[in-house]
Amino acid sequence: MKRNWFISILTFVGAVSILYVFWHQPKVDFSADVKPILNQHCISCHGGVKKNAGFSLLFENEALGATESGHPAIIPGDASESEFISRLKEKDPELRMPYNKPPLSDEEIKTLTDWVNQGAQWGNHWAYELPEKVEIPHTTLKAGFSKENTAPFAKNEIDHFVADALESHDLQPSPEADPLVLLRRVSLDLTGLPPGDTLAERWKNQEITYESLVDKLLQDPGYGERWASWWLDLARYADTKGYERDVSREIWAYRDWVIKAFNDNMPFDQFTIEQMAGDLLPDPNLDQLTATAFHRNTMNNDEGGTQDEEFRVAAVMDRVNTTFEVWQSTTMACVQCHSHPYDPIKFEEYYKALAFFNNTRDEDTHGEEPKLKFYKGDDSLKVEEIKSWAKRNGQAESKEKVEQFLLYQEPKYHAHDCEDFDKGELIDTKWLGLWDDGSCYLREVYTGGASYLYLNYWTGNEGSVLTIRNGGPEGEVLSRLNLDKTDGRVIKRFPFKKVEGKVDLFLHMENKTLNKQQTTSAINWFAFAPALPGKEQAGYQEMEQSFVELLNTPTPTVPIMAENPHFMDRNTHVFERGNWMMKGAEVTPDVPEVLNDWKENWPKNRLGLSYWLTSKENPLTARTIVNRLWAQLFGRGLVSTLEDMGTQSDPPSHRELLDWLSLRLMHEHDWQIKPLLKDMVLSATYRQSSISSPALHEKDPGNKWYARGPRFRLSAEQIRDQALAISGLLSRKMYGKGVKPPQPDNVWQTVYNGESWETSEGEDRYRRAVYTFLKRTSPYPSFITFDAGSREVCSISRTVTNTPLQALITLNDPVYQEAAFFLAKQMLESGKEDHEKSIAMGYEKALVKPIDRQNQKLLEELYRFSKDDFEANPDQMEEWLERAEDRDKTPEFAALVVVANALLNLDELLTKS
Amino acid sequence: MKNLLAERLQKELATTTRRHFMKECISGMGGLALGSMFLSCEKPKPRQLQLTERDLNPLAPMSPHYQPKIQSVIYLHMAGAPSQLEMFDYKPELLKLHNQECPESVLKGRNFAFIRGRPNLLGPQANFEQSGDSGNWVSDYMPHFKQVVDEVAFLKAVHTDQFNHGPAQLFMQTGSPRLGRPSIGSWVTYGLGSENQNLPGFVVLTSGGKTPDAGKSVWGSGFLPSVYQGVQCRSKGDPVLYLEDPKGMSRNLKRKTLDIINQINEKEFQTYADPEILARINQYEMAYRMQIEVPEVMNINDEPEYIHQLYGTQPGEESFANNCLLARKMVEKGVRFVQLYDWGWDAHGTDKSTAIDLGMKDKCREIDKPITALLTDLKQRGLLDNTLVVWGGEFGRTPMQENREGKKQSFMGRDHHVDAFTMWMAGGGIKKGASHGITDDIGFSGVEDRVSVHDVHATILHLLGYNHEKFTFDFQGRPFRLTDVEGEIIHQILTG
Repeated sequence: MKRNWFISILTFVGAVSILYVFWHQPKVDFSADVKPILNQHCISCHGGVKKNAGFSLLFENEALGATESGHPAIIPGDASESEFISRLKEKDPELRMPYNKPPLSDEEIKTLTDWVNQGAQWGNHWAYELPEKVEIPHTTLKAGFSKENTAPFAKNEIDHFVADALESHDLQPSPEADPLVLLRRVSLDLTGLPPGDTLAERWKNQEITYESLVDKLLQDPGYGERWASWWLDLARYADTKGYERDVSREIWAYRDWVIKAFNDNMPFDQFTIEQMAGDLLPDPNLDQLTATAFHRNTMNNDEGGTQDEEFRVAAVMDRVNTTFEVWQSTTMACVQCHSHPYDPIKFEEYYKALAFFNNTRDEDTHGEEPKLKFYKGDDSLKVEEIKSWAKRNGQAESKEKVEQFLLYQEPKYHAHDCEDFDKGELIDTKWLGLWDDGSCYLREVYTGGASYLYLNYWTGNEGSVLTIRNGGPEGEVLSRLNLDKTDGRVIKRFPFKKVEGKVDLFLHMENKTLNKQQTTSAINWFAFAPALPGKEQAGYQEMEQSFVELLNTPTPTVPIMAENPHFMDRNTHVFERGNWMMKGAEVTPDVPEVLNDWKENWPKNRLGLSYWLTSKENPLTARTIVNRLWAQLFGRGLVSTLEDMGTQSDPPSHRELLDWLSLRLMHEHDWQIKPLLKDMVLSATYRQSSISSPALHEKDPGNKWYARGPRFRLSAEQIRDQALAISGLLSRKMYGKGVKPPQPDNVWQTVYNGESWETSEGEDRYRRAVYTFLKRTSPYPSFITFDAGSREVCSISRTVTNTPLQALITLNDPVYQEAAFFLAKQMLESGKEDHEKSIAMGYEKALVKPIDRQNQKLLEELYRFSKDDFEANPDQMEEWLERAEDRDKTPEFAALVVVANALLNLDELLTKS
Repeated sequence: MKNLLAERLQKELATTTRRHFMKECISGMGGLALGSMFLSCEKPKPRQLQLTERDLNPLAPMSPHYQPKIQSVIYLHMAGAPSQLEMFDYKPELLKLHNQECPESVLKGRNFAFIRGRPNLLGPQANFEQSGDSGNWVSDYMPHFKQVVDEVAFLKAVHTDQFNHGPAQLFMQTGSPRLGRPSIGSWVTYGLGSENQNLPGFVVLTSGGKTPDAGKSVWGSGFLPSVYQGVQCRSKGDPVLYLEDPKGMSRNLKRKTLDIINQINEKEFQTYADPEILARINQYEMAYRMQIEVPEVMNINDEPEYIHQLYGTQPGEESFANNCLLARKMVEKGVRFVQLYDWGWDAHGTDKSTAIDLGMKDKCREIDKPITALLTDLKQRGLLDNTLVVWGGEFGRTPMQENREGKKQSFMGRDHHVDAFTMWMAGGGIKKGASHGITDDIGFSGVEDRVSVHDVHATILHLLGYNHEKFTFDFQGRPFRLTDVEGEIIHQILTG
C-alpha cells in the first residue's frame, strides 16, 4: 500500500515534470532557429543542386517526403524515429552527418530535435510575410550623456524604435549635431550639393526652422539629380552599349525622365509601373514610353560574329535579375541554373518570371530598335495631323497603328531573321548583303494584308533590284523593289501584294553591273503596314508623303520596350542548366509562389507584373525601397545586405522600424518618396552628432544601433559637384545629352570603335556629375576611382574605399586644380589684402562653418610656406598660375591656390559628417 | 575565411610587415594615437581603437590558406587569340589535308563566328621542330623561345565555351563571360594584398595599340572593392592617371601641403574617432610615395644595354617588349599581379595584317624575344622560382581556312575556335618541360587531358596558396568564387 502510494507520487511527479518540460519547452521558430542551421550545415548536399540520398531540405514537401530509402527522413512529432535526427548523433563517421565535417553542436542538435518533436513546422522567412502593423515602443531616453535638463531624445516615431534598441544594447544616443554640420549634412543628402549661400544665411540667422529647411531642399531641382544618381545605378544606365565595341547609345531621355520623376515626387508605384510597362498602359504618352527605357539599359553586343538571339536572351535574363534585385531584394540569378540552394524560389519559377519579359520587340540589333522618335516643332504638328486624319478616316486601331509606326516603326522583321543564303550573307552578322543573283528566305512573315513594304537599307550602288516571291524561287511575285543609291540609311516604301496569313518570303537580288562577290546593298529591316485610310479624301497624297518624310526625319531618340504583336509571340522554355541553347519544358508567365498571390484581373504581362510588384500585398517592395533610402542617408541598411532580404540575408537590426516605415510609405504617404525621406531626416536619429569615441567604436564599430549620426565618404558624384559648387564653377543647366568634361588623353581606347572623347565646351564642362557621359568599358576615371560603377549590370550598393588613387585625383586632376583656382579667386576677392581673412572665407565656403583657431594657424603656415616658395621661384609661380590673368600672378594669390587645393583634400570635406 | 586570415595576420604582423610599419610610423603619422596599428612601433601607445591592418590599408599583405609556391604572377594575354597551330600544336596530318574540304562530320552542330557552309582545311603555315631536352614542339615562328622551352609546361587541350572575343576574354580573366565579376588579379590582390605599398598591387600593361576587346572590365574588380582593380600603367602620359604633380607644384611644396592636410585630418580624428580618417592619412602618404616610385619602376632608360639587347626594348615605346621588362621590374619590387595584354592576334586573314603567314608571323616575332628574355631574366635573378608566368589567348583558332560570309578569301586566316587551344605556364611549382593534353590529328578537339578555363584558374590559385573552392566573397546573398562551381587543379603540370 505504502509502496503503491509511493509509486503514485512518483508517477505524478514524473507526469508533472514531463508536462512542465513540455509546456516550458520554448517553441522553436523555423526561420529564426532551424533554417540557419540547415543552411549552414545541410543544404549544400541536401537541397538545390544536390539531393544526396534523395533527401532535400529546401522545400517542405521534399523534406517531409520519402527519400531514396523509401521512407521519409523526418517524422513530424517523433524525433526518435526520424533518421534526420539519428544520423546527426551517429558514432560511425561514415554514417554521421554532416558527412566528412565536424558534428553539429549539442545545442544545434537539440534545436533540430525539438523542432521535429514539435511537429517539424515549416515557416516562412520573415521578409516573405507582409509587414504587420507595429506598436511604436514607448521610450523616454534623453539625448546626450548628461541626463539632467535635457530634452527627450525622440523627435518622431523613428526615434522610439531606435531608442528602444539603443537601450537594450546599453547605448546612449548622441546630442544633436552642430547646426552648421547638420545643414551641410542634410543638404548633401537631399540635393547632393552643399547649401546655397542664401539658404545657409537664413539658417544661420535662425530665420527658418529645420523642417522648412528640409522642405526647401526637397523642392530644389538638385533633389531629383541627386536621387537620380542613386536610381541610375540600379537601372544600370550608361551612354554606351557595352561589350566589345561599346559604341554610344542615345538614351539620355530616360535619365531626364528619372530626374523629373523624382522632382515631381512621382509615387513609387507609378514610378515602377511606368518603367516596367509604360508601353502597355492605355494610350501611353511619350513620357510613359520613355520610362520603359529602364529595361533597355541592358547591354547590346555589336561584336562581329555574335548571334543577336544569344544576346537578346542575355538581355532578357538581365531584366529578370534586375527586376527582382531592384524591387524584391532577391537574387534570381542563381535560380537560372538550378533551384535556389537557400531561398524557396524554384528553377522553373525563374523561367516563368522570364516569360513576362520574353515578348518584346528588341532583338539585340545594332540599331537598338525599337527607338522612340521625339518629333520637334512642325514635325510634331504633322504627326498630330496624321493621327487625327487616321482617326477621322479609319477605325480606332488604325490611328493606333499609324501612331506606333510613326513613333517607333513596329512591328518589323530584322535582317538577322533571314536564312538559307545563296550568294550573300549577313554583313558582320548584322545586315542583309546579297550579291548579284543572290537569294535568301525570310520565313513565317505575317504581313497583315499590308499593301506596303517599308525597307530600311542603304547602298552606294545603283541598279539593284530585289524581287520578293511567295514561298520560293517559283512563287508569285509579291513586290519588285528598285534599290536606288542612298545617302545613308533610308526608309523607303514599296507597294506590296496583299497576302493573308503567315508566308515564307523568297528574296532574290539582281545587279549585273557589279562584280561577282560584291554586295549590292545593306538591308536593316522589313516592315509591313497598311496604307493610310481615307484614300478618296482630298489631301490624301500630302498626308502619305508627309508620313514617309517623317519616318526619315532625324530626331533625338530613346530605345523603348514594345510588346510583340500576337503573331510574333515567343514561347518561353526553361533552359536546362541555364544554357539558352538547351530548351526544356515550356512555361507561361507567373510569379514565385512564395510571394504574394496574383490577382485574376491583372493581365499576364509586364503590366500585370508591375501591379504585382506594387501591390500592397507584396511583402518586399516597400521594405526594399525603405531599406535602400535609409542606407543612402545612414550608410547602412536596416537590413545590411541591401541586395538581399532572403533567408541568407543579415537579420534586420530594427525589423519593426523597417516594417513601420514600409507601411507608412504605402498607406500614409501613398508611395511618395519625399515625405518618407522627410520622416527620416527629421528624426533625432539622423540629426545626431557623428562624433564617436573609442568606447563607442568598440561597442558598435559599424554604427548599427545609431548611437551617433552618420559619417561616411561622399559619393563620386557628390565629390565632384561639391568642388564645382564651392569654386562657383558649377552649372545648374539640366537635362540633355551626356557631357564630356576634361579627362586625360588616351583613356578611351576601344577596338572597332572610332569614337573619341571630345571635351565639352563652355558651361557643359561644369555640369553636375549625373550628366557626365558614361562609357561602360571606360567610365570617367575620377568617378570610377571614387567607387562609382561602370553600370554594366544593376548595382545595388557601392563599396566605399579609401585609396591612394583618390588622393591623386583631388590633389592633381586638372578638374580639381581648376576648382581650387576659382575658390582661391573668391578668397582673394573677399579678403583683399588680408590673407587671414581670405583663408577663413575659403574654409567657410568649403565646409559651411567658420574655421577654428588651430586650422586657421595650420593653413596660414601653408600659405606662408607657399608664398615663400613661389617668391623664391617665380618661374614655378608662372606655371602654377597658368590660368590667371597677369594682375593676379602674385605669390600671394599662388599661395591661396595651394591653400584652396588643400581645402579640397580635407577629410572633412570629402566626408559627410 | 576572414577570421582565419585575421588570426594569421595577427601572428605575422610582427614579422613580415614590420619594416613597412616602422616606415609608416616614422614618416606620416606624427604623434597620433593609433591603437593596434602601432603595436610594432618603438614606443608603446595607448590602445584605443581596435583596428585591423586592413582597416587602414586594404592592400596590407595577408596569408593564404596554405603555403604558397609563388609570390607573384605575370599573365601574358594575347588578345585576339593566337593560332596554336602555327606555334605549339604540331599537326603534320593537317598539312597533308591542306586545302581539302573539311569533313561534314566535324562541322555538324557547330557554330562559328564567321565560317559559313563548308570551309577547306588549312595546313600549318609554320615549320616545327622538337626543342630542348623535353623535345616539345615549337615552330619557327618562335625561334628564340626554343631556348627556354624546357622551363615551361604546356597545356595543349584547353577549351572554353565562348567564341566571341569580349565574352571569351571576360571568361578567361574573370571566370564568367558576362560583365561584373572580379578579374583573377583582383581576386589575388584581395586575398594576398601587396608586398610593396608604394606601388599598386595589381598592374596592367597593354601593347598593340588597343585595350582588349572586353575593355577595362577584364581587369575590373567586379563586386570586390575597387581598390583591388587593376591599375593601368601607361607608357605615354602619366604612367598612372594624375600621378604627376601639377605644373608649378614643387615636391617640397607638395610635401608641405600633405603635412598640413594630414595635420588637420589628425586633429579631426581626435574629435571624431573615425578610423577612416586614419586610413585617409595613410592613403595620402602612399600616394606621395607612389608619385616617386611608379615613375622609377616605369623608367627603363637606366637598364643596362645587355638587358635592352636581351628583351629588344626601346625606351619610350608602348611595346610588348617594354612591357615584359616592366613586368620583371614590378615583380622584383613586390607587385603581386602583373597583367599584360597584347592586342592584334585576331588572324582572320581578311587582310595582310591578319594573315596567318604574314601578320600573325610578325606578331610572333614581336613576342618571341621578349618572352624568352623575360623567362631568362627572371631565372637569372632567382625570381622565376617564386613567380608564375602564364601565357595564352582567350580561345584558339580553327584548323579550317576562314570563308567569311561564304566568300573565298585571298589571305590565309583561321576563325575563332573554342574546342582546343594551347596555353603554357612557367615558374614556381610548375613541372619544367611538361606537356599536358593531346588534340586530334587536325587539332580540332582535345582527345586526352582536356582542361577548362576554370581548371587553369584553380591551378593558379593553388600555386598562390588558395583552395579555389574555399576562396569566396559574399555578394548578393551568396558566396562567389573565381571558379564558379567548377575547376580541378591540373596536378599533372605541377611539381609535387
